[in-house]
Amino acid sequence: MSSLSDQHLVRGVDHAAFPTFDPVGTVRFYRDTLGFPVVHSICAAGWGPEDHPDFIHFFFDIGNDDRIAFFYYFGLPKPEVGKGDVYAQFGDDTPDWFVRSRHLAIHVDSEDHLLEYRRRLDASQWPVEMQIQHETIESIYTHDPNGYMVEITRALRPVTPQEDLDANLTIDALVDIAQRPGHGMDDLLVRKAELIVERAEAWQAEQEVSS
Amino acid sequence: MTHRLFMLDVPENTSIAAVASEAPDVTVDRLGPYFVIASEKPVVIDRRASGARHAVWYSCVGGLEGCRIVQWDKDALRLEQR
Amino acid sequence: MTHVRIGLVVPSSNVTVETEMPAILGRHPGADFSFHASRMRMAKVSPEQLAAMNAQRERCILELGDASPDVILYACLVALMAVGPGEHQRVEGLVAEQLATGGAEARVRSSAGALVEGLQALSARRIALVTPYMRPLAEKVVAYLEAEGFEVTDWRALEVEDNREVGCIPGDRVMDAARSLDLTGVDALVISACVQMPSLPLVELAEQELGVPVLSAATAGAYSILRAAGLPVDIPGAGSLLRADSLQPTA
Repeated sequence: MSSLSDQHLVRGVDHAAFPTFDPVGTVRFYRDTLGFPVVHSICAAGWGPEDHPDFIHFFFDIGNDDRIAFFYYFGLPKPEVGKGDVYAQFGDDTPDWFVRSRHLAIHVDSEDHLLEYRRRLDASQWPVEMQIQHETIESIYTHDPNGYMVEITRALRPVTPQEDLDANLTIDALVDIAQRPGHGMDDLLVRKAELIVERAEAWQAEQEVSS
Repeated sequence: MTHRLFMLDVPENTSIAAVASEAPDVTVDRLGPYFVIASEKPVVIDRRASGARHAVWYSCVGGLEGCRIVQWDKDALRLEQR
Repeated sequence: MTHVRIGLVVPSSNVTVETEMPAILGRHPGADFSFHASRMRMAKVSPEQLAAMNAQRERCILELGDASPDVILYACLVALMAVGPGEHQRVEGLVAEQLATGGAEARVRSSAGALVEGLQALSARRIALVTPYMRPLAEKVVAYLEAEGFEVTDWRALEVEDNREVGCIPGDRVMDAARSLDLTGVDALVISACVQMPSLPLVELAEQELGVPVLSAATAGAYSILRAAGLPVDIPGAGSLLRADSLQPTA
């Protein structure tokens, strides 16, 4: 039995990678506007079983040694983008809320830092499109030159331990009800109430022992 | 049959639980870190009275027992017999 | 007969790698080899030209990748060692990443890494070297090997700066330099710590005459390629390192 077997060993985002057809715009946005340094690049060709063009794979640091990376394929024609981005295009009838559901949100530590990135974006070709306060976070949003939505977000307050419990109960409830045909939010909230009744007091008692 | 609404005790939700408790037939207890808002009658919570902004309001319900949501909008959250 | 394709990244003025590697590996009893080189422009072995040469690495790997080699040897020893300790691991890692990102399956080795690998295969700790370099560069080679854990007890720098001339250094001059070394307690002699200074005919000769295992950057490169390709190391007449898997007793 390995001593590593119940440890959470991963260290965040080595890279989240996306294709680009506009390397200059991408560099202007991430390096020059947001100030994310270029930390790595690889010049390669398609040598494997699938033949593909020569390409550059390049990486920007997004904090904590995490990186966002792009592939630029020489000579690959850019798709027509109506709704969506250069990676995924959608029909006009796809709801905007669905198109926005995939995005990268990058963390900052304070309101001052959030406003500083707001200032940098507003001074560029890619100004902030929305600034919103959610339950416990405040975010600014824009789209990069490839159409990828970028969120920069700060916590309004630190996460509490009871929110960790609540999140786990939500997921356990979701897993329980997701197989039933026609399941909805109501089914989830009913199942979650059952789990709260089962587990909340014991959780509280554990918190008091360890504090 | 008692209606019970579970609501996580975090700073944003305390004003909502407080408004709920003002109604005469409503009791607010605790189960672990959750407020338990209970009543034999339908529960109504006025959003404006709670001061909760949208994102908080629409995510404040943690669990439902014996009741279902019949209204949840910018005006109020209303629960009735399931 | 297994066929193995070897990609070589060589300094542009280098003629010895493409002479000695086929000569060595052509003696392999069970495999045949083809060689495909890409060149990095360099004429003078100076720090400035070495740095400029290393900047061409990406282009060279791109070119070689298209030929689907089985093993790529980055064949300029001093270009890596002159940068500082750990450089061959760093560069081999970058080349491996470049190949892997494009889905190539070639294994990567370097002459610098191969020399270290060959010395370790001989279980050598105390070593002596002959180099063609100017003294400051020769000192960097010595420092590099010492950082890898070897004790360099004696060494020579023949001080030939023009890389084309290095390719013409007569064997007698190399042999004389080897004979002049104090080989007391030495585990191995590197008769040429350079892939441009010809030395292949001298390796076996020096081993017989001087009574210590003798290798060169070239024979070490061949050793590394054979290990990378999973082939038995059994090459006659080029020193005991290349007879590691031979069933014949070493002379």
